[in-house]
Amino acid sequence: MLLVLSEEHKEHLGFLSEVDSAVVGEFGRIAVEFLKKGSNPKIYEGAARKLNVSSESVQHGVEGLMYLLTESSKLMISEVDFQDSVLVLGFSEELNALLLQLYLENRKEVRQILSKLAPSLPHYHNLEWRLDVQLASRALRHQVKPTVTLKLHLEDGAKRSARVLQTDPATLQHLIDELERALAELKSSHCRRILRNIK
Amino acid sequence: MELSESVMKGLQTLADPTVFDQKSFTIFTEVAFDSLVSPRGESVLGHPELKHIDQTTLKHCHTAATTFILEGVKQNADKSTISSCLEDAKFLNERVDTFYNSFQKNKRKLESLLSSIDTCPPHVTDAEWRLEYCIKNSHVHKVNQPSYLISLNTERAGASSEINFSCTMEQLQDLVGKMKDAAKSLERATQS
Repeated sequence: MLLVLSEEHKEHLGFLSEVDSAVVGEFGRIAVEFLKKGSNPKIYEGAARKLNVSSESVQHGVEGLMYLLTESSKLMISEVDFQDSVLVLGFSEELNALLLQLYLENRKEVRQILSKLAPSLPHYHNLEWRLDVQLASRALRHQVKPTVTLKLHLEDGAKRSARVLQTDPATLQHLIDELERALAELKSSHCRRILRNIK
Repeated sequence: MELSESVMKGLQTLADPTVFDQKSFTIFTEVAFDSLVSPRGESVLGHPELKHIDQTTLKHCHTAATTFILEGVKQNADKSTISSCLEDAKFLNERVDTFYNSFQKNKRKLESLLSSIDTCPPHVTDAEWRLEYCIKNSHVHKVNQPSYLISLNTERAGASSEINFSCTMEQLQDLVGKMKDAAKSLERATQS
């Protein structure tokens, strides 16, 4: 599957052929850093001064690289497809190889960053438990009621939350049985067939 | 067992044969216990067999009797405690016996009713699950990962609610493993 680059995008990336491959390498590193930690406009000015070009060109070049990386990583395009897509830009072979390496080295991490943007529910982080025996309450004395207190830790993006819950021994066993059934389902032949064939 | 003056007065009125004859007393006792155990039962007020008794007095006695019953269940009072309280309220032996028999009959049900009045964290009643295979989303294509969506049904003071969360297979295994640890500890605790 080929990447389709817009005219504007091609123009922005065109800047890269005017500079040294070492500079392109540096831009690549900056692009990945920006993807991981957010962009920092001051870097553009420093680089623009050193290269004696407008900071806007530098910005376009880096952002063009960032977009190239995210699009290729999102689609998980193969090496061959990436090379063919980049051919359109008319870069030197050295530059093409550099871009390919940048893509291959960083695509796993870029995909991880992108997947955090996708809609999701809070996910399981940890479970703590405690066994108690209730002896009395305001309404009734002389009790012997075993209970299990649970603390369910959930994570939603950067937010961590903990819910305190309670259950009784019989329900605990029922929960275990039900969730074990869920786990067993993944090993069923139906699921295995689907997982094997949709790749 | 400590009882308030109002409760004692109510019980004394109930003991009085000029207010409650034997038949009315028996019916009253039955209806009083019934009103606690099955809330949709017949009400003491407006009961056809008790219409001849003044309604205000009836209401007072009913409150006194039910308070006494609940206090007895709460404290797990034995026969001698119940009997001595009733005798203090001038109950005749026959009435003490009638009352105590009903008390014994309904004690179990009343105990479970009282034990369900509880402040506690939301009580988990069930777990529902869904197994999905994510193919792609708007940000990443070719995800190809299975994931579980778990929904824990909880109840608190009659109101039910849900906790929804997702997890991978490894995370679900971790969750089930920890629950099994808790269950094993429970078993060991009950055996020792």
